[in-house]
Amino acid sequence: MARDPKSPETKLSHTAAMILQSLDAGFVYGFSIMEMTGLPSGTVYPAMRRLEGDDLIRSHWEKQSIADAEQRPPRKYYKLTPAGKTTLEASRKRYPLLERLIPSEEARSV
Amino acid sequence: MEWLREWRGELWHVRQSFAQPDSAERRSEGEVTAFCLGAFQDALCLRRAGQPNQPFFANMRGTPRLCILMMAAILVATYTVALFLPGVRAERNLWPRKVNPNLVVIEGQGSRNDAVPTISPSEFRAWEVRKQRYIDALAFYQVRQRMVEPVIHGQTGTNAIWGVAHASSNLFTLLGLPLWCTTGETNAAINAPQLILSEKIWKNEFGADPHVTGTLLHLGNQTARIAGVAPDGALGLPGRIDAWLLEPDPAAHAAGPGYVVAHLTPAGSAQMWGSSVSIAAYGNDDSEDELVGVSLEDCQPSPMSIYLFAILLALLALPAITSVSLGEYSVNPHKTSWPRKVQRWSFLAAKAALLLPIVYFLAFDLAYGCTWFSRESAIYIQVVCSFAFCLFGMGWMLKDQRQRCPVCLRSVTHPAQVGQASRTFLDWNGTEMMCMGGHTLLHVPSLPTSWFSTQRWLYLDTSWGFLFAGSTRPVP
Repeated sequence: MARDPKSPETKLSHTAAMILQSLDAGFVYGFSIMEMTGLPSGTVYPAMRRLEGDDLIRSHWEKQSIADAEQRPPRKYYKLTPAGKTTLEASRKRYPLLERLIPSEEARSV
Repeated sequence: MEWLREWRGELWHVRQSFAQPDSAERRSEGEVTAFCLGAFQDALCLRRAGQPNQPFFANMRGTPRLCILMMAAILVATYTVALFLPGVRAERNLWPRKVNPNLVVIEGQGSRNDAVPTISPSEFRAWEVRKQRYIDALAFYQVRQRMVEPVIHGQTGTNAIWGVAHASSNLFTLLGLPLWCTTGETNAAINAPQLILSEKIWKNEFGADPHVTGTLLHLGNQTARIAGVAPDGALGLPGRIDAWLLEPDPAAHAAGPGYVVAHLTPAGSAQMWGSSVSIAAYGNDDSEDELVGVSLEDCQPSPMSIYLFAILLALLALPAITSVSLGEYSVNPHKTSWPRKVQRWSFLAAKAALLLPIVYFLAFDLAYGCTWFSRESAIYIQVVCSFAFCLFGMGWMLKDQRQRCPVCLRSVTHPAQVGQASRTFLDWNGTEMMCMGGHTLLHVPSLPTSWFSTQRWLYLDTSWGFLFAGSTRPVP
């Protein structure tokens, strides 16, 4: 896992790289990333906490008004930080298959 | 609360996503349940992230330092318990015992158990009146079960049956050991024989009363006067004795065999071989009785001698439960450096050095911590516990050493099954574990074969480094 998030040479595990790639592709919710990567919830959510602790991603709560309009509880969504984008670029060199993940339009709603 | 809020928000969408017609409801509930189970792992991760001190132990997991620290903590704990348990403290205070090395307990030549009395009263009386070559002082005692009516400060107490040793008046003079609570009312108006209590009876029946001396007790139709207290274990005499009744001629009314304690002359001491001596005693008709004298020091083994005996048994039994080999360390020409070898052996020695006192104190605490156990029971418990703890402790120690990387001494992790059992004779199959420092892989065969009988270490070169991000790689 990453030790120095600002260094482009930071080494990521394959799981963390998949999560960053999914976020970059527009899958910003935890459950969306689970569906996209096929990873279980016990892997995705702890990994996202560690990535947030390493300042590679940042979490935000969606507006309460949006949740109220749809009569559901509000969700937390995640976005890549600049350091996360740099790290993702470096990881794509090591895991070239990650670029085959297809981005969706889900991220446009937040 | 934020964590709960996040999971509730996601769970709503999970339920919406897996909402199915009735026929698929069970599968959708299974999916939702699987999603919810991930919450436990996430909570654990969150808890660890919130504890600033956790990374210290997280980084130390599997390291030799943590192993030594934990063993040291166990040692401190067992020693501390030994300091506070009253039974253990009392037993520790008895050793080393100050017993005259010339004192022996006499047994018949064919006797195999020094706990069984073998000397008849007539034999003793015959020896007593004759001058003996090897013995210059004798004392006799016989243990009988007597009904005792303890009279505590003039009040009638409950009846009890004690093991009372009817002993010669010179027994305690012969033993030369100090008694407790001997000051007090000694010039009683009643001319009653003296009774020496055992420490256990003194504490249980008289509440360790320091003024118990002079108290009268009724032993059946006989009255005795308490004259002192003998510390438990200090005398080392065989037999379960609650009190000693000192009489001028105990053999006169003895119905069965008893024990004889004798003091050896210089000639007798010279015949000593180890802890026993063959002596001849002469009776009234000049007949010679061949006897064996067993040193009092040997009648009751010390806790340390018991422990060493158990250690020896455990060492002999160790090959039966585990391989004593530390495994094959290298399959390539590169050998580990001498400092690494010294470090590895030093770690093994440190574990052994901590394990042995842990076993000693733990067995000691279990054997002597409870005051209900008799001395014989405590000895058996100490032997069994010392043997078991030492045997399995050493087995663990060797197994732990076999699974530590030869370079960094961290425990290998992430076991993975490799190969197929059906291809055992075509290719190896077994378990592969890795050192998370990126130094070595450990291959353990599932079935020992002639070409792969024990575990093997595979040293990794620098080309494997990218798999172990952030690890330090000392030179093997």
